[in-house]
Amino acid sequence: MSTGTSPSGASIRDRVGSAGDVVLKVEDLSVRFASDEGPVNAVQNLSYEARLGRTLAVVGESGSGKSVSSMTLLGLHNPKRTTITGSITLDGTELVGASEETMRGLRSSSVAMVFQDPQSSLHPFFKVGKQIAEAYRAHHHVSAAVANTRAVEMLERVGIPNPARRAKQYPHEFSGGMRQRAMIALGLVNDPKLLVADEPTTALDVTVQAQILDLIKDLQQEFGSAVILITHDLAVVAEVADDILVMYAGRAVEKGLAKHVLSQPNHPYTMGLLESVPSASEEVQELRAIRGAPPSLVYLPSGCSFHPRCDYQDQVPGERCVTELPELRILPNGRQIRCHLVDPERVLSQETSR
Amino acid sequence: MSTSPEAVDDATDDATDDATDALKPDDVVVDTVVHQAPRDVANAPKLLEVEHLVKHFAVREVRGLSMLRSSVKAVDDISFVVREGESLGLVGESGCGKSTTSRLITRLEDPTSGAIRFRGQDMALMKEKELRPLRREVQMIFQDPYSSLNPRQTVGTILRTPLDVHGLAKGREKARTKELLELVGLNPEHINRYPSEFSGGQRQRIGIARALAVEPRLIIADEPVSALDVSIQAQVMNLLARLREELNLSFLFIAHDLGVIRHFCDSIAVMYLGKIVEKGWKRDIYSAPQHPYTQALLSAAPDINVVRGVPPRERIRLKGDPPSPIDPPSGCRFRTRCWKAQDICAKVEPPLELKESSGLDQVIACHFPEVKTSLVAEVS
Repeated sequence: MSTGTSPSGASIRDRVGSAGDVVLKVEDLSVRFASDEGPVNAVQNLSYEARLGRTLAVVGESGSGKSVSSMTLLGLHNPKRTTITGSITLDGTELVGASEETMRGLRSSSVAMVFQDPQSSLHPFFKVGKQIAEAYRAHHHVSAAVANTRAVEMLERVGIPNPARRAKQYPHEFSGGMRQRAMIALGLVNDPKLLVADEPTTALDVTVQAQILDLIKDLQQEFGSAVILITHDLAVVAEVADDILVMYAGRAVEKGLAKHVLSQPNHPYTMGLLESVPSASEEVQELRAIRGAPPSLVYLPSGCSFHPRCDYQDQVPGERCVTELPELRILPNGRQIRCHLVDPERVLSQETSR
Repeated sequence: MSTSPEAVDDATDDATDDATDALKPDDVVVDTVVHQAPRDVANAPKLLEVEHLVKHFAVREVRGLSMLRSSVKAVDDISFVVREGESLGLVGESGCGKSTTSRLITRLEDPTSGAIRFRGQDMALMKEKELRPLRREVQMIFQDPYSSLNPRQTVGTILRTPLDVHGLAKGREKARTKELLELVGLNPEHINRYPSEFSGGQRQRIGIARALAVEPRLIIADEPVSALDVSIQAQVMNLLARLREELNLSFLFIAHDLGVIRHFCDSIAVMYLGKIVEKGWKRDIYSAPQHPYTQALLSAAPDINVVRGVPPRERIRLKGDPPSPIDPPSGCRFRTRCWKAQDICAKVEPPLELKESSGLDQVIACHFPEVKTSLVAEVS
């Protein structure tokens, strides 16, 4: 595939983009579900971009809306129960309100997804090679034999030893790490411009996690696609991501270059998260935990959703944190944060050196 | 959905003092400033001694008309000691036997052979009746705060059951359960609520309170924070650290997260396919690991400090997944993934021993040990 001489002859290098081009643009996206308790505001006013050749990490705790927003990219929500507003443009096509046919055309060819649990995302009754070949034939008019050859090629590319034999096996005959490799092969078989990986290594062991992260990095270099990595693990973000989007209670709270955000967070929540994680390379006396628990998305706190857990409310004059939702604003250093603090960099760095 | 962060916070700080008075055993002097004092666990008396512990599970595989009998060697001849006040971390990947070890020590499983001595008494072969007083001393905290609490019992009942079983706090059971809730930072007025009314972090606190109800000496914590959200993990870690100091508890702490282990433990045993491959004090394991598997683990663990200007570390990537414990490789079990493996590794199983030449204290099981100091980039 990388050479453009795939056996099908259908060299689908019609990609006009180059590294840095915007593939996906999400603007003012809100996703709401109905529930017994009332409407769940899973995502509110979310905007971000994914660029070719770059990895965007979407970080948050459970209930932060990080997975919901990515499922929306593939149209994997239940349309009867979900209200989506805003705009998602993938490679020029508007996805919000798009027909099922349009989505079907885009899935796998323009955007593919790798899920957390490879055990439940591969079909247990079909051979692994057949599943990959099927995905290929859905978008290419080729014979089964050509598609099978292509499947074996892909399995080889993702580092599965003995790919011809493996292609004829069922998912249960694969180990966890192998299955995740097969999922990645399935995702990349149609050379999508955007790969969405939702907690791709959470279910894996440490040594296997390192292999899979390396593989995603390598493939991204080779295929030049954009990657959205959804994770709760800040250490993984530190190792692989270029850009970061931190979500809390359905909203973006901090956006910027991963390296900068993780080494000097500007939002109190990001900082709290960072201080909660014990590192293998450092010893601290006591972890500085964020107090309390994330809020229910049905009953969001007034003002800033993070204010009940925030230690810096007293640095903001009046009761603004309680009464007024902060806008996502751009700081002089280029960082975007949703916080009322006037000079968060100074306030938070004083705290770290204390 | 009745998450009430305020209640948690208020209780965390002021409730602990009174509550611990009631809980601490008579012979332990609880010093409030021990937080800073270095623990001298190296010379403390031995609390738990595990010797040559083995657990094989029988498996049957039907092939056509014949049936193959084989066994999963989940834990294969492991030995270690936990001293009073010590926290021993057990690290390894899935299938290495760390959870089986915890279930053997709590006698939720019966060992195939070997000794489990608690204060000198071997509990490996004890009958349930003899075991009961020891069960009070060794308690377990489970990974999943959802499946480890009975959804149909109120928190009060959950905490009261161990008291009734062991005949503790007679006549003041309710007061005691309230003390326990305060001890773990929960609102004692929530005694009549059901587990479903609590968040994941709060449920884990309930699990901890249940373990502490019988005033144990040793806590077996099997991945106690891995199911929790990041911000909640730190709260529970801090709670465990505080309880450990206040109640002078010892821990066998099982986790796969090397950051969590480093934060909580004094010593570490690394397991691979049912065997301990390296064991020693925390500082030696992190700063100068000798076994190739330990080195690979440390090198593979993603580290947040890579963005904070720490020097790059040596990169070791293992190939493949761990082999099946049904048919482990001959000789050294790690050899199939080891970059140093030679003929001797397939023939002779390396003993777990001290390598004098290294000048370090840890014991390792490897034919070709080598100290590597560049795997964890230390933050200066």
